[in-house]
Parts: sequence; C-alpha cells; structure tokens
Amino acid sequence: MHDNVNITLPGFAKYKGKGFYAFILHRISGLGTILFLTLHITTTATVFFAPQWYDVLVEIFRNPIIMIAEIILAFFVIYHGVNGLRIAYVDLIRPDLWKKKPTSRLISAVFIVTFLLWLPAAGILGYNLLKYGFNLFGS
Amino acid sequence: MTTSDHLAIKQPRCEAFAWKWMRYSAFLLIPLVWIHAIIQDLITGGHNLSLEYVHMRWAIFGWRVYDIFLLAFAFSHGVNGLRQVLLDYSKSESATKTINWTMFIFWLVFASIGAAALIYGVRIP
Repeated sequence: MHDNVNITLPGFAKYKGKGFYAFILHRISGLGTILFLTLHITTTATVFFAPQWYDVLVEIFRNPIIMIAEIILAFFVIYHGVNGLRIAYVDLIRPDLWKKKPTSRLISAVFIVTFLLWLPAAGILGYNLLKYGFNLFGS
Repeated sequence: MTTSDHLAIKQPRCEAFAWKWMRYSAFLLIPLVWIHAIIQDLITGGHNLSLEYVHMRWAIFGWRVYDIFLLAFAFSHGVNGLRQVLLDYSKSESATKTINWTMFIFWLVFASIGAAALIYGVRIP
C-alpha cells in the first residue's frame, strides 16, 4: 500500500511520477470546476433575483475568451469525472488495486478515456467558437 | 486523499462521512453532470441561451427537480472538496476550525441563492 504514497503532512499524500500528475490535475480541475460552479449558480440565479441582468450576463459569456475557457473546462470536468470514478471504484470496491502497477495502469486508462471523451466535446465547442465567437462560416 | 487506510488514523467520525460522501456522490454526479452538460452545452449551446429559454425549461417540473439534485450534489461535493484541499495546508486546530466554518457559510449562501431561484423560478420583466 505505501509503496507509492508518502504521507508528509497529516492527510497530505505526496505521490511520485504518474500518480502525482493524476493527483495534482484532479485538484486543479476540481478547483476550476468549483470556481465555475459558483459563478454559474450566481448568474443563473439572476433569472429570479435580477431577471433584467440575465441576458446581459449571457451576452458577456459569448466572448471568445470565455468560449475557449469553456473548452478547457470541458476537459477539466471530464478528467475529474473519469479520474474520480477510478478513485471511488478502487477505494470502495477494489481497495486491493491500491498498488503501484495497477494504479499506474488505471491512470493511463483514465488519461486515454478522458482524451477520447473530450475530443468530440472539444469539436462541437470549437465549432461553436469559430461560428459564434469569431463569426466564421457566415451567418 | 485517495488512500483508504488513512481512515485508520484518528479522525472525527464526520470526516469519515465526508470522505465517503465524496465517493458516493461521485457515482451519482457522473450521469447528473454529464447529461446536464451534453444537453446544455453541446445540444442547446450557449448561443441559444436566454431568459426565455430558462423560463421554458423550468416550466417542466422534472427539470427543476433535476436541477435541485444537481445543485445539492454537485455544489456540496465541490465545496467539501475545496475544504479538504484547504485542510491539507492547515497546521493548527484553529485554522481547521476557520476553514470548516468559512466553507460551511460559503456553501450555505450560494446553495440558498441557487435553491431560491429554482423554487421561485424565472420572473419575466
């Protein structure tokens, strides 16, 4: 169990190699998502609290920079979901897999699945970015 | 915190519950969030979003129930996750207490704002 985990501070696991990237990316994607979620709840809540602002806010979010951020967010959410599923599955159902080799294999699978799921999403969001963000393809 | 045996280290019972909560809610959030994102971002798309659209969507009671679930599970999962990350950097009892209370109030404020909008619905000006 402890062959791939060093406990430094209480509760803070310092991983090595691939595990480290999986761990740090899980945190970064989680932080990015909660930041977005807080913004998303607040802006959506204007439909009740200040309905005259809602369409103004939606217009601001049609900015190409925010549309690019959305493509990154899609990657974050997909990765966080796939990697989170790995963590939950191993912790709750197969704790015997918390060893160096199976962990390393599962993490590789997580990266591949994340990329495969993200590609079509990035394609559609990228198309929308070009069409509505940069007004390409006429309109 | 992805190791299961750290629970053996003395931790309050509520922390064990929070740890399990992250994993059980994860299983539920996979379909909840992904169906939401596929319908809203990929099929509908941000360019079709408007007050009128939200009004139409929330006219269907089932979507409001769906969004209540999404708000309840996604936001608590997110805030608890943020709390767990912050606690990794907490070095004292008082810092832990401050983080816990700040995160609880943060969760309460934004969850209430979202819930109020979901319950009372769209006000067409």
